[in-house]
Amino acid sequence: MKAHVRTLAPVLVLALCAAALAGCAAPSASKPGTGGTATANDTFTYAQGADPRGLDPALVDDGESSKIIVNIYEGLLKYETKSTKVEPSLAESWEISPDGLSYKFKLRQGVKFQDGTDFNADAVKFNIDRQLPPKVTADMGYAGFVFGSVKDVVVNDPYTVTINLTQKNTAFLANLAMSLAAPMVSPKALTDGNNSVMEAPVGTGPYKFVKWSKGENVVLVRNDDYWGEKAKTKNVVFRIISDNSARVLALNNSEVDMIDGIDATVVSKITEGGSKLFEEAGMNVNYMGYNTTTALFKNAAARKAVSQAINVDELVKSLYQGYSEKATTILPTFVPGYDPTVQQVSYDAAAAKAGLAAAGVKNIHMITYSNPRPYNAATGSALATAIQGYLQKVGVQCTIDTFDWTTYKAKVKAGDYDIAFYGWIGDNGDPDNFLNLLADPDPTMNIARWQDPTYKAMIKKALATPNGADRDKQYGAMEKYVAERAIWLPISHAKTLAGYRPNVSGFIYHVTGNVFLSNVVKQ
Amino acid sequence: MVKYAVKRILMVIPVMIGVSIIVFSLMRVFSPDPAPIVLGQHATQASITVWRHANGLDAPVVTQYLTYVAGALKGDLGVSYYTKSPVASEIGARFPATIELAVAAILFASLVGILLGVLAAVKKNSVFDAASSLFALIGVSIPIFWLGILLIMFFSGFLHLLPSGGRINVMLEPAHMTGFYLIDAAIQGNWDALQDALIHIILPALTLGMYSMAIITRMTRSAMLDTLGQDYIRTARAKGISEAKVIGKHALRNSLIPVTTVIGLQFGALLGGALLTESVFSWPGIGKFTVDCILKSDFPIVQGIVLLVAVIFVTINLIADLIYAFLDPRIKYSPKTEG
Repeated sequence: MKAHVRTLAPVLVLALCAAALAGCAAPSASKPGTGGTATANDTFTYAQGADPRGLDPALVDDGESSKIIVNIYEGLLKYETKSTKVEPSLAESWEISPDGLSYKFKLRQGVKFQDGTDFNADAVKFNIDRQLPPKVTADMGYAGFVFGSVKDVVVNDPYTVTINLTQKNTAFLANLAMSLAAPMVSPKALTDGNNSVMEAPVGTGPYKFVKWSKGENVVLVRNDDYWGEKAKTKNVVFRIISDNSARVLALNNSEVDMIDGIDATVVSKITEGGSKLFEEAGMNVNYMGYNTTTALFKNAAARKAVSQAINVDELVKSLYQGYSEKATTILPTFVPGYDPTVQQVSYDAAAAKAGLAAAGVKNIHMITYSNPRPYNAATGSALATAIQGYLQKVGVQCTIDTFDWTTYKAKVKAGDYDIAFYGWIGDNGDPDNFLNLLADPDPTMNIARWQDPTYKAMIKKALATPNGADRDKQYGAMEKYVAERAIWLPISHAKTLAGYRPNVSGFIYHVTGNVFLSNVVKQ
Repeated sequence: MVKYAVKRILMVIPVMIGVSIIVFSLMRVFSPDPAPIVLGQHATQASITVWRHANGLDAPVVTQYLTYVAGALKGDLGVSYYTKSPVASEIGARFPATIELAVAAILFASLVGILLGVLAAVKKNSVFDAASSLFALIGVSIPIFWLGILLIMFFSGFLHLLPSGGRINVMLEPAHMTGFYLIDAAIQGNWDALQDALIHIILPALTLGMYSMAIITRMTRSAMLDTLGQDYIRTARAKGISEAKVIGKHALRNSLIPVTTVIGLQFGALLGGALLTESVFSWPGIGKFTVDCILKSDFPIVQGIVLLVAVIFVTINLIADLIYAFLDPRIKYSPKTEG
């Protein structure tokens, strides 16, 4: 044993020397911009808060995965840069049959997957079939949402494919532009990977996958065989930095070029550190819902009187410090069908007081969540407390029960509340995705528990109407219908915030929350 | 001693059974149902039922446990609910980072701690003693999270000397052989990578090792003071042995017995992952990963990590006991020579 100690001694000495070496070498090696930790101009580093769940679009449901996926894969369609209107991508054009049940797509020719195999009609069929019964598995979280209305997929010729639906569904086109479920994966890669490409993604996009060091980073490199305009920056690294302040520090230190997951508390540090702030409207809504099945709020006058007591404008300004916009209706402004003329019950404390007395509203039981949500950075409890304050001013007492998110969802399902708080993050940019919530039979989706046959008929009709002015008008009418009945009180739409270095340009931060990096340039 | 070692190794079995039963039951009693978390926003009751069946969660808990144990004995710890990767590969991808950081932290803590402890004891009641006591007190009481942020702000944000987080610059990352970047870089002769990895580990190791360093300092000081008061030290000095030899050979070696145990326990705790340090420095180890998996009810991963940590604790305690026997030859573990 003593001999062992003697042999260990030199190792310890070596370790000490190594530590000393690091201390000496540090100053010259890690100055920003000179190597070490700083990034070179052909490498763009994007820092996000968590690892992606995986890189198979059919098997994931999170934003972290989605941001990487959109740079590796493409779908048949894509969203316009500034809105959720769809435009061609891997499909060059499409025709919808007069009965609205068949969608025929002409595919782009000469496109290859990153493994060298051809993209064609067979590949489209393979990708959709894997997400339809009998092949679909329970953990394909978006298969039902995106392809639930698909009856079958027919290959007409190598570059023409027809997708038949079981029922009319105009939102189907918007679904095909989504970053989850819809992107096209190489059938060869899926076959080789036993129906999963979670850690070995192969798409047709501008970047291809290099490696994923779990908890650390995902590295992509430019796809030099890309069919479209080649990516401008050679390497893209998605770094995982879980702590918000550490992410901001890394940005200001030029260790990374862009960060997301920012809240109002760190915004000032970003600009003070010489970095820039990116703000974009977000595809979400933060709202308060009345339980329309209770004796108290069955009565529309009571709901209106409560809404009237709340100064939403002031509330949003003070609670979200300018990083959320006041919601005038359920739909975000850029979603087709948004109607600027629709307004909720406007603030009028005196009228509210009279209305509440007339309706006999004295005590209200609220339930809320304790944590921040993407649509409500201030937490559900802060929002509920603010509303409690407004109602106290008009003589109504509120009791608030606050729960963690998982328990809260169970409480919402149980239905023991007069008012509950919730929000929605849009999936596909189609108005149906938001307004359908109020027609949903599931009380965890439809927290107002409102079942209105007229409204449901309106939803059904609009879903079958082709995109265009007529469809948009129908959704405008629905927004008005809900606002008049004060089923929800829409509060705000949270903005998407990102920080980036001043030498960075060309990224597309889309309203869906995805970041497209093929045009990124570092000066 | 061999007999003792074998006995201790056999004792691992009941410990592992106990630990596995506890973690298995705790996860199932206190964690929310994983199905809605895994299946996401669009989960339906039907898809939840199908998923629960596919993952065996609709079976009685005892059956689930036995299935799990049967798999584990064959080396199959299951598949992560959330990422669908095998548990072994999920843990294997992160554990080297944890070990590397824990080794660096314990090296720092032991070297500095023992040095400060010895000096404080030798120069008892001097300014130096008071300073080292104060330093140790700060080390024990400072919140790791805050210390980490302070170090980053100073060395990274203000001086721009050291990186604010991560294990290595991704473009210098050595090819994975052992998963330990320092070793991989050294084996491959990739000195840039070695240097970069060393630079990255300094701040997290310092932050993580601070608490252990403080404890080791205090422990060494009090053990040294005890030993220095012994008769044999006086005898050694009376024999004219140089002071350095008296302290370094006669006193220190005897004082190291309790210190070794503390180092062993501290190292075990560090290997369990350091949630806060890993979080602040974006260190891709198992500490933060464990918490994420608990929040997502990813049962197989949590079970795998807890079992792994249990094995490590048992092993380190065993090693500490064996070193204890080496440092103090009077200690014999055979019952025949005991007493």
